[in-house]
Amino acid sequence: MINSILLVDDENLFHLVFEDACSLLDITLDLQSITSSDEAARLFEQWKTDSKGKPECVFVDLNIIGSSFDGIELIQKINYEYGNGVVVGIISSSADHEEIDKSLHAGAQFWIVKSDDIEPRLEAFREDYEGYKNRTAPFKVYK
Amino acid sequence: MIKLCDDDKRQLIETGDNRNVFLEGNIIKLIDAQDDESFKKYLLDAKKQDIENRKKRLEVTKQVQIQNRELITSQEENENLMIDLKEAVKKADEAKDAALTDLDLIQKKTQFELIGKIVQVALWIIVGVGVFTTLLFMFAMFTNRDLTIIGNTWSNLFGILLTNSFSIIGTIMGVKYASEGNGGKI
Repeated sequence: MINSILLVDDENLFHLVFEDACSLLDITLDLQSITSSDEAARLFEQWKTDSKGKPECVFVDLNIIGSSFDGIELIQKINYEYGNGVVVGIISSSADHEEIDKSLHAGAQFWIVKSDDIEPRLEAFREDYEGYKNRTAPFKVYK
Repeated sequence: MIKLCDDDKRQLIETGDNRNVFLEGNIIKLIDAQDDESFKKYLLDAKKQDIENRKKRLEVTKQVQIQNRELITSQEENENLMIDLKEAVKKADEAKDAALTDLDLIQKKTQFELIGKIVQVALWIIVGVGVFTTLLFMFAMFTNRDLTIIGNTWSNLFGILLTNSFSIIGTIMGVKYASEGNGGKI
């Protein structure tokens, strides 16, 4: 089970879906969902000095409407500005190869394609999670 | 893991049995049953109910998500249709304007052609009458006939013809000026 997860997604409905799917699949007990990358950046800025509440894994939406920067930029910031140490990847309805390449360069470890049937993908992700945590698993797209 | 005292466990079990109210959410997964078989059963029931509720909520949320997506798609389609419609209306307006301009041009052309023909015919009549009376006058001169009447007639007729021709030209110029002033409409 993943200790704690942070979901950054502008779609509130998806928060509910993700929360229920995580609970049903026993993925985590500690899930925090936020709607903007600015808020995520602010939280990571805080966690630089006090790591209390810092998540173990971060799921970032690709296009976060109403935010100053998109998911790939947020991943870049998490990896290069706020200090690494979390498993981070994209969760998006897009499966655009160009964007996937960009996310890989930004330091994303996985890409989960959002769909109506998200549970099998999350289950597969859970199985690979230890590899991501140990930094031994290669970048993977869950379609 | 959270450990509860016997009294709390009993109260929870009673609430579950009597009122069908159970603990919900991830907290259930963190409570230790401590080898208490009845409380273990309570936790299993609570977990089962929580899973059922979550499954239902997940289904509903997914349906709402799908409906939302469909709504967004139809909204986009409507917006695109509106854009197409606006463009079609704009094009129709442009076509109407072009047709009106063409019609106006055709009307003007027809009017000018008509005026031209009237002028031509009038001038031919004037020239014809002038030539005819001149020839008549010359004939009378060369055949030594009395020129008093025919001479006066010729000069009168020529004067009238000249006056009429200028009158025609004046009328045509007036019509042309008026049609230009009214945007081509008489």
